[in-house]
Parts: sequence; structure tokens; C-alpha cells
Amino acid sequence: MSSPTPHLTRDRTEQYLLGALPPEAEAELEAHTLTCEPCARLLQEEALLEEQLYEVAAATPRDAVVVRPARWHRPAAVAAALVAVAASVFLMLRPGGETASTPVTPVEAPVVAARDVEDAPRDIVVACPDLGTQEHCLKSASARGLLVYHPGGQGEVPRYDASSGLTQVALSSRPAAL
Amino acid sequence: MTTLQSRQDIDSAVRPAAPDEESLSRRALTGERAAWDALIARHQRRVVVSLLAKGLRVDRAQELAQETWARLIQQQQRGLLPELRLPALALAQAAFLASDDARRTRRESVDGTVEELPERHQPVDPAQSAEKRLLSEEQLTRARDALEQVSPGARNVFLLACDGQGLPHAEVASRVGLSVQRVRQILCEVRKKLRTALEEENHV
Repeated sequence: MSSPTPHLTRDRTEQYLLGALPPEAEAELEAHTLTCEPCARLLQEEALLEEQLYEVAAATPRDAVVVRPARWHRPAAVAAALVAVAASVFLMLRPGGETASTPVTPVEAPVVAARDVEDAPRDIVVACPDLGTQEHCLKSASARGLLVYHPGGQGEVPRYDASSGLTQVALSSRPAAL
Repeated sequence: MTTLQSRQDIDSAVRPAAPDEESLSRRALTGERAAWDALIARHQRRVVVSLLAKGLRVDRAQELAQETWARLIQQQQRGLLPELRLPALALAQAAFLASDDARRTRRESVDGTVEELPERHQPVDPAQSAEKRLLSEEQLTRARDALEQVSPGARNVFLLACDGQGLPHAEVASRVGLSVQRVRQILCEVRKKLRTALEEENHV
């Protein structure tokens, strides 16, 4: 009898590292690695991979997270997309628009869409990609004086009104990009 | 109307239950024990895993993780912590303790005595260990390519869970609107893809 407890499998080790195992199973796995050298090594390998994944995530540019039809800092690059161009050009011409020249890309770059393209565009609606990145998106958008469309629903919208002066009624139409 | 009502109810019920990292850190810096406990619960696993990755046995890793938090709390009480950036600070402290540990065992094996190392009171610089890289540039590129192949939703889950802030899976789940089980399932899938990508590189 080499050991009374079962050896580690890769799946089980992953579950352990994710914290998905019940406490007893966790304790059993831990106890096993103390007496079983190969399993201890497997656990180390998996833990190392976990650390590497954190590094991968840290090195991944957040721009890759969302689809982004427009780049607000480089309007020339998006000449193909009509809506995007309208939005970007407006951004550049905006009075007091120091925003257009800022080289900083928002980390979670939101989707930009112009409302009422056929009229003179009065406001650019920024749709935050999702709830997870919404906070940052909100900040960078309001720093640019843009209006934010909230994907979670209308209930949250009044929070953003202060930066735009638009009423909730004006927001009830969905931006074209969505 | 009723659905809206119930959603608001849920929202107001859920929000105060999960204080965000920032307010927890602020409270911990004032020495509030409950805030420390919450932060420890949130980041403990990450610290232990980082120690396991260094080749420590599970029991020793857990001891050092405990020691890590003890040191951080001590530093806070002495007013040596100007800010609390977790988990980076805890990981750096743990890495320091681990290398300290290794040095001590080496010395012990040489002359048979355990020498007490001078206690370090300065907080460790988290930037230092952040500089240290586990992966080569090529491996990173390969992993990034693999990540491109993953569906945007799954990628988002992965980036949320692993963005270095130590967001609990439950919180990731509520942010993306999935169950915790599904989030973990996604993480496992992404992990498998990235493992292949990283190992491929080792082969070549």
C-alpha cells in the first residue's frame, strides 16, 4: 500500500486550484501530496501553469476584449467605417476637444456609435461592452464628455445624465451599434 | 413593472453584501480586523498557489501564507503601509518569505544550525516581483494567439478572473451574468487551450 488516498488527476488538481473542491476533498488532496512525490510535482506544475496564466492575462491588451468599430484616438485609421468616421470626426471638431489628441486608449474600449447620423450629430453615445468593464468605460467616457449607453438597462441611465445633459427619453433609442 | 421592481430589490440586496476591494483596502489600512479577514479570504488561495508554484509543499505553503498576512498586518500596525495593493503586495511578501525560507534551509544544511535572519520590517516592493517573468516572449505571443481563438465571452471571463485583482469567481459570475460553475468551467477550458499553446512552445 503506497498511499491510502487516490492519486491526483489533472482535472482534480485544476478544480483544487480553482477552489471548486469541497473542503474535505481539498484536505484529502493536500494530505496526499505530502506523502506522494509524483502528485506533489503534478500540483506544482499545475500551480505554475496557473501563475503563467495570470501573466498571460496581465500581458493581454484589454483592447482585445471587445469588438471596437472605431478608434477614437486615430480617426484616419477607420476611414472604412462610415458611422465610425462620423463619430471620430465629430470628436475631433468638438469645441474644447482636447480628447481627440489624447494618445491614451481607454483600456476597455467601448463601442462608439453616432446617433442621428443624417442630422448633424449632437452627441456620441458610447455603449459600454459589458457590466464587468463598465466602470472603467464610464470613467473614460465621461472624461471625454461622452454619453454612455448602459447595456444593463435603462434603470441605471440617470446616473450618466449629468455629463451629457440628455434626458432619459433621448436615451431610449438604442444606438446603431447594438 | 413587477419585474423591474423585483430586479431593483435584488440589486439593493446584493450590493452591500459584497464590499469592493477598494473600500476593504481602505478599511484594512485603518486597522479594521474584519476588513483584513475579508481580504485574506479573498486572496489566500492566490498566495498559496504562488508558493506551490515555487515548489513548496502544501503545508509549508499554507504556513508561509499565514506568515505573509501576519507580516502585512504587522507592517500596517507600525504605520509602514502607505497603501495596500492586493494581491500584488501579498504575493511579493510571500515570495520574499519563500526565498528567505530557502536560504535558511540551505544554511541549516551547511553547518547544522538554524540562524535567525534579521527581521525585515520594510514592506517589500511589489514592483520587484512583478518584474520577474515566468514566460518567454514567444510563449506569451503564442498564448495570446490562442486567447484570440477563444470566444469573446470566455476570454472576458478569463481576463476578469485573472486580471491580477483577485476577483472572486462569484463576483466574476455576477458581473458576466453566469453561474459560478459555468465560470469555472470556462476557466478550465481556457486553461486547457493555453496549456497546449504554452507546451507547444516548449517542444519546438
